[in-house]
Amino acid sequence: MSVFSLKDVHLSLAAKAGRVDILRGVALEVESGQSVGIVGPSGSGKSSLLMIMAGLERATSGQVGALGHDLSAMGEDALARFRRDNMGVVFQSFHLIPTMTALENVAAPLELAGAKDAFARAVRELTAMGLKGREDHYPAQLSGGEQQRVALARASAPRPKILLADEPTGNLDSATGAVIVEALFGLQKRHGATLILVTHAPELAAMCDRVIRIEDGRAKETPEAARDAA
Amino acid sequence: MSPALACRFALREMRGGLAGFRVFLLCLALGVASVAAVGSVRTAIEAGLSDQGRAILGGDAELMLTYRRADESEMARVRDVAERVSEIVDFRSMAVATSRISGETERGLTQVKGVDDAYPLYGEVGLEPEMPLAAALVERDGRPGLVMAQALIDRIGLEIGDEVRLGTMDFELRAALAAEPDAVSAGFGLGPRIIVRTEALEGSGLLGEGTFFESSLRLKLAEGADLDALKAGFEQDAEAGGWRWRDSRNGAPGVQRFVERIATFLVLIGLAALAVGGVGISSAVRAYLTEKTETIAILKTLGAPGGGIFMIYLIQIGMLTALGVALGLLLGAGLPAVVGPLFAASLPVPALFALYWAPLVEAAVYGVLTALLFALWPLARVREVRAAALFRDAAAPAPERGRFHAGDVIAFVALLLGLIAAALTFSGAPMLAAWFLGGVAGALATLWLVSRLLSFVAARAARGRLPRGRPALRLALAAIGGTGGGTTGAALSLGLGLTVLAAIGQVDFNMRSVISEQLPERSPAYFFIDIQNDQLAAFLGEARGVEGVEEIATAPMLRGVITALDGVLAAQARETVEPGGRWVLNGDRGVSYAARPPEGAAITEGDWWPEDYAGPPLVSFSAEEGRELGLEIGDTVSVNILGRDLTATVANFREIDWRGMGINFLMILDPGAMAGAPHTHIATVHAAPAAEAALIRAVGGAFPNVTAIRVRDAIERVSAGLADIAAASRWGAGAVLITGFVVLIGAAAAGRRARTYEAAILKVLGASRARILGSFALRAGLVGAAAGIVAIGFGAAAAWGVIVFVMESPFRFDAASAVAIVAGGALASLFAGLCFAWAPLAARPAAALRARE
Repeated sequence: MSVFSLKDVHLSLAAKAGRVDILRGVALEVESGQSVGIVGPSGSGKSSLLMIMAGLERATSGQVGALGHDLSAMGEDALARFRRDNMGVVFQSFHLIPTMTALENVAAPLELAGAKDAFARAVRELTAMGLKGREDHYPAQLSGGEQQRVALARASAPRPKILLADEPTGNLDSATGAVIVEALFGLQKRHGATLILVTHAPELAAMCDRVIRIEDGRAKETPEAARDAA
Repeated sequence: MSPALACRFALREMRGGLAGFRVFLLCLALGVASVAAVGSVRTAIEAGLSDQGRAILGGDAELMLTYRRADESEMARVRDVAERVSEIVDFRSMAVATSRISGETERGLTQVKGVDDAYPLYGEVGLEPEMPLAAALVERDGRPGLVMAQALIDRIGLEIGDEVRLGTMDFELRAALAAEPDAVSAGFGLGPRIIVRTEALEGSGLLGEGTFFESSLRLKLAEGADLDALKAGFEQDAEAGGWRWRDSRNGAPGVQRFVERIATFLVLIGLAALAVGGVGISSAVRAYLTEKTETIAILKTLGAPGGGIFMIYLIQIGMLTALGVALGLLLGAGLPAVVGPLFAASLPVPALFALYWAPLVEAAVYGVLTALLFALWPLARVREVRAAALFRDAAAPAPERGRFHAGDVIAFVALLLGLIAAALTFSGAPMLAAWFLGGVAGALATLWLVSRLLSFVAARAARGRLPRGRPALRLALAAIGGTGGGTTGAALSLGLGLTVLAAIGQVDFNMRSVISEQLPERSPAYFFIDIQNDQLAAFLGEARGVEGVEEIATAPMLRGVITALDGVLAAQARETVEPGGRWVLNGDRGVSYAARPPEGAAITEGDWWPEDYAGPPLVSFSAEEGRELGLEIGDTVSVNILGRDLTATVANFREIDWRGMGINFLMILDPGAMAGAPHTHIATVHAAPAAEAALIRAVGGAFPNVTAIRVRDAIERVSAGLADIAAASRWGAGAVLITGFVVLIGAAAAGRRARTYEAAILKVLGASRARILGSFALRAGLVGAAAGIVAIGFGAAAAWGVIVFVMESPFRFDAASAVAIVAGGALASLFAGLCFAWAPLAARPAAALRARE
């Protein structure tokens, strides 16, 4: 079953010097349970593509299908509900809510989904991430690695069908990054989720089932891409 | 770092423009503008009163008499010193005429002025149609002329040429009175003005012995006449003859005092606006410096000392303060100077609108001190920014507290003391200013405490059971509880603005309830004055014959001026008595006589005289005023009645409730003391509303000299006056609220980035926009409601002080206005919050998140 189906996706963003074409006709199909690494040079549009797949950015043109839904035809609230029910997103800069504790951050998507046992599940999720005893800490009181593990716990807590990760180790040292990577792939395997991973790290991309290279705004998937990534 | 270098750095720093300082400038400019505007208008009115002092008074000097006209020897004494003398009589009466509207005989209460050929000595009487006053008043076809205020012409329904009766005399209405040069000095009158020649009133029965009227001699003096010497000479005589002196240096002392009081009050409200603005200034400086954390860290990395960096930003704040104050002065001085002349003609008092420096200096001093006072605290924190901030997560909040140097504390205290000293000096009412500043400081301190408490409780609640499963609620509570939530700034600014409004609302309600609710239950329908001795029995018969008349009370009535208290001349005694009792010595007071204590009178000290008492004069004095004048049983009071001094011994004190609107006299003498003195009677008549018209027809027809004062009309006049004061106060409160709202908007605008980010994360997690909006609204509403609740407490406390201690009335809490204040606070906060909610809700999450990368 196709989880993502992108056809001729374009993205142009306004910049001071005029409009910049970020994506120029990306086409991509992703099957359920796959892990897909997205690589490419800085500014190639990797993160933008991930944002479009998460429904956080609207494509200028083209079709973006996810789990049989046309994301480009959905409104803001419908997209939010879709993410709530199907997606978990992890960012390079963690993006935790600074005024909420670690536990509250993890429980937030469960509460939004109306889960009665949100906090119990959040506690379990944090424990699984090795953060037992850090539940009541605010993001500012946690290290970068701990914050990213909280973000990972938050993304995985609702058991999403899709996990999207944007440079999840970009702000971390290699040892901490390795822990996060292990956790990320462990989660994907355990729950059978589809993982879309944007990364600069070739060895990380090589861990994925498929590697897509973004260059000149287009996606190329070839064995070379995988080899290049490796 | 040298000041010159700091200045160069400061100027470079400001190349980025003033966009971040809009709230700072607006807050400061609004506060300074309101103080400057009130001061400018007050100065314009004072200048107007001073410039037109002669016209307002109607002469260079005026000698007033009560109940009688000057005799020949007194006239001769005045003519000796004056180039020209004009005699005026002034009294209340009833104008009676056939209405062209109803076709029936209508009666209207009026304030009659009898003039001579010399009137007016200064200024001009304006008539419609235009004609000289002498021509309008001259006798024609056996009927003297009369001019009348348009309001009364309209009320009765008259046309020029119609016949109008005053007392028993008929006059012809010749013109409408459009301008009366000495109207301002006449003070508060219950009826519209009529002017006639005094000669024409002879035989009208209105100026007979014992009737109540005032007369005055206006003097035109030679250029350069020594007013002080003349005043001293006449005042010595005045103590003996009951004369009172006024001169053109202060032609309308009552009006001037009133303007000063109102202006002082409004300036103090302006200071509250500045205090609210100060909260905004503080927040704006804090936000600006937080944004500059990286620059400050770089400067430190490059070797700039903490003191030097403090200087750089102090210079910037100093320059912005100068700009804000200049804008405020431009607005505050410019608006009255430009718009004032357009309204000058419609003002009830003369005003000379121009640019006056004194009020501007006052406003500038307030502005500079307030801005620096509120900016100092956040400024002091720049020393604490460490170079390591460069390597920290930019999203991490800056430390809330820094260490304060002794110099900062000294500067803070010096600025605070400077502000207090300025307010005490400039206001001219140090006690009022001190109470007001204390109240503002107390309100700010309480609001700060409550906002901290609210933050604490919200932070705890956010982690409690209540918000479980309600992330929007938790987000709102967590935001209120967080350090970057802006709770304190919003609560302080909104709370102080609402406190002023709540205080005015409670005072207004209490004053209205005293007038409109308490009085009518007990007050009579009509007062009748000037009932002659020989008319009393017939009057009672006539009034009792009217169906619906429930109760009639009468008392003999005279007016007298207190000339000495226990042998000390009133002019000297005035300096030593309690301020609250001074009014008793200003002008004439009602005097009566009685063999028995008035019904319901409570004798608090001493004994009433026997009914057949025939000894030396005794007086029963009002207990409260007696205490304020320092009188004790056995002391003497000298009263000048109809030119004769009468000295009576205080036999007892009575408790008087003046609000009862019954017949009450400050002084009641024993009947023997007043034997033979010509006097009239006053009557109060309680009647059903339906009987009022019949009563006035019956009594008015039979006794044309008797003046009827409808209590409800009098109350309405007083109420209208109070409404004007309340309106002025509300304008002042409006300035505070607008400033508060600017601060709120500023806080909401400053938090927009944070909320956009929050909204983006919530959208990532699957929250709908309605849910996010609900969270924002909840947060704003809770802060607003908390500010409103504190405002009610402080506003009610302030109002209680005013009502109980100043108005000496029992205080009643007005729940309706209190609820409106809390709701208003919540709505204002909500509105300000939601004004800036659209952008976070509409923003693409990707853009918001990317901005944080």
